[in-house]
Amino acid sequence: MKFWEIGKRNLKEIYRNPVLLGFLLGMPLAFMLVFCAAAGGGQAGPIGMSVVDEDLSQTSSAFVQNLGSVEAIELNEPIYSEKSQAREDLENGKISFYLLIPSGFEVAQQTQQTINLELVYKASDPMIGLQLKPIIEAVGSEFLGVTPPLNVELKGTESEIKNMAVNFYFPGIAVFGLMILISTAAGIIAGDREKGFLARMFTTPARPWDFILGYSLPFIPVLIVSTLIYLGVGMALGLTVVGNLGHAFLIFFLIGLCSIGIGMIVGSLVKSESQAGVSWIFIVPMAMISGTMFTVERMPAAIKSVAGALPFIHATDASRAVLNGSSFSAIILDLYWLIGWAVVLFATGIVLFRRTMVS
Amino acid sequence: MNAVQTFKLTKEFDGLVAVNGVDLEINKGELFSLLGPNGAGKTTTIRMLCCLLKPTRGTASILGHDVVRVPFAVKKLIGVSPQDTILSERLNCWENLALIGKVHGLSSDEVKGRSEELLETMGLMERAKDQVRKFSGGMKRRLSIAMALVSDPQVLFLDEPTLGLDPQARRNVWEHIAGLKGKKTILLTTHYMEEADYLSDRIGIIDEGRVVALGTSQELKTNLLEMRSMVVSTENLTAEVLEDLRAKYSRLEMAKGRLKIYHKDLDFKGIVDYLHSQGVTVYSAALEQPTLEDVFIQITGKKLRD
Repeated sequence: MKFWEIGKRNLKEIYRNPVLLGFLLGMPLAFMLVFCAAAGGGQAGPIGMSVVDEDLSQTSSAFVQNLGSVEAIELNEPIYSEKSQAREDLENGKISFYLLIPSGFEVAQQTQQTINLELVYKASDPMIGLQLKPIIEAVGSEFLGVTPPLNVELKGTESEIKNMAVNFYFPGIAVFGLMILISTAAGIIAGDREKGFLARMFTTPARPWDFILGYSLPFIPVLIVSTLIYLGVGMALGLTVVGNLGHAFLIFFLIGLCSIGIGMIVGSLVKSESQAGVSWIFIVPMAMISGTMFTVERMPAAIKSVAGALPFIHATDASRAVLNGSSFSAIILDLYWLIGWAVVLFATGIVLFRRTMVS
Repeated sequence: MNAVQTFKLTKEFDGLVAVNGVDLEINKGELFSLLGPNGAGKTTTIRMLCCLLKPTRGTASILGHDVVRVPFAVKKLIGVSPQDTILSERLNCWENLALIGKVHGLSSDEVKGRSEELLETMGLMERAKDQVRKFSGGMKRRLSIAMALVSDPQVLFLDEPTLGLDPQARRNVWEHIAGLKGKKTILLTTHYMEEADYLSDRIGIIDEGRVVALGTSQELKTNLLEMRSMVVSTENLTAEVLEDLRAKYSRLEMAKGRLKIYHKDLDFKGIVDYLHSQGVTVYSAALEQPTLEDVFIQITGKKLRD
């Protein structure tokens, strides 16, 4: 097992280098402390919202119209009359959330009873509900002139979640942090290429996959420890785990593997450690469009398509969903996507590495 | 079968010919040195023989295995100590040797046995457990050669094995390389004349990608040097005598009472007798032994290379 020997060498080179080790393990900690502790930021621009109007009254219709006029909200077409249809679209990913106006809405308004609305959203995007609830309550209460005020109930599996912001930011920050493995993995390969160590190893009877596996291997413990740090610090900062922690770990592990795979590709292509910095040209935009920091709901369709084709948004979506209570079956497609990408990336890395072994 | 054979081996980089139709035959057990100025094509040749560079034209074989068609088979047979001392800096000697040995398919016991032997031979046993980043240049170079040897290769490539070492460390490395003579086929590149002279069975002088001279050190010195030289320490040399000598011999140099005369068939006794006959005081006179450097400069010229 030649890859094991190469892997052992790389493992020792990393773990005996305090600066590199400090960076690799200190980074997740710093990321979580900085971002999650500062969590709770707002968003700009309108949020697309779907509505289910079960009351189908003049008042409910006017209420919907009024919501549509609010700057922060953009009403999606059509306005549903059946809750089941909206639920289906939500589960199929066609919409992110909907506001349910129940039958009896007009009567409750006219008789000055408490009006209960429901804001139902997918588990992977709880921030939307958190942001919209106060807006709808304020605007709705003023428009309807109801006392006691309008009450918007957030409906999602995350009802037990204590700090919605942390639950939104944590998975994104963890995925972003794991994306940085791209740069680190690429830098280590490129550094060995620059120093001539790879050329020396290329004169030995080792195959391309021995190198790809050998350079990936040391990152597996880094990946496991990083993920544990993310989860541990996240929970200390108020992360609520409603779903299965093991599933969340699996998602982070897979996106970490994808990042290492991309790092292997970049490391195969660049000639020096400084050139490996080029991976940030990929990392930063990917983080932006993959829902790591903010929801992608309002991004143009083309960008959403690009993000959807890549693995990262599947990791952020699936990890948010599973932490907020989604079942394994709800994230299975995301997992397939991540596994597929990991296989493709490592296979590509091996092909590219083979090409670089002989100039 | 030759241990190493090249067939019109050629490498071009963007139209620049680095190695130009090199034909070499190196016998089993021979220590062959490729000598040449900077950029002559020594390292490029070695890189092609080690399967790191694909020849533009021509090919080469190591113990009958073609470097282009069956590189994996070639890599099993060779050991390489690259020009820059390339080690895993945070690994100790044992670990560096184990890495190369095991990638060559040696068992743990084999690696241990070979490593012990090599560390003793190379004088590294005392520091064997230290991370090699703390080593001196000479120690690193010795470890690099040990790494090239740990798999017990049949053909050893040593690319500038003493580059940048102080004289003591250089002598030490030479002794180790000399100890391998006859046991391994060794192809060594260097631009240190005395290194090639001291170590080599045969020398190939390479310049601008071509092998321009080939033979033993003695053959090169005797066959290729067009002129011999003698040095005479004198007093009261007259202008007439100098003019007369200049007319008879190819080149004269005069500095601080030392007259140096160059000529193809130098008549030592005739010159001394002539000086005496002209009343010139001769304190001493000696024929100069040609050096490999004389051969090298004569063949490759004095033009600076990059």
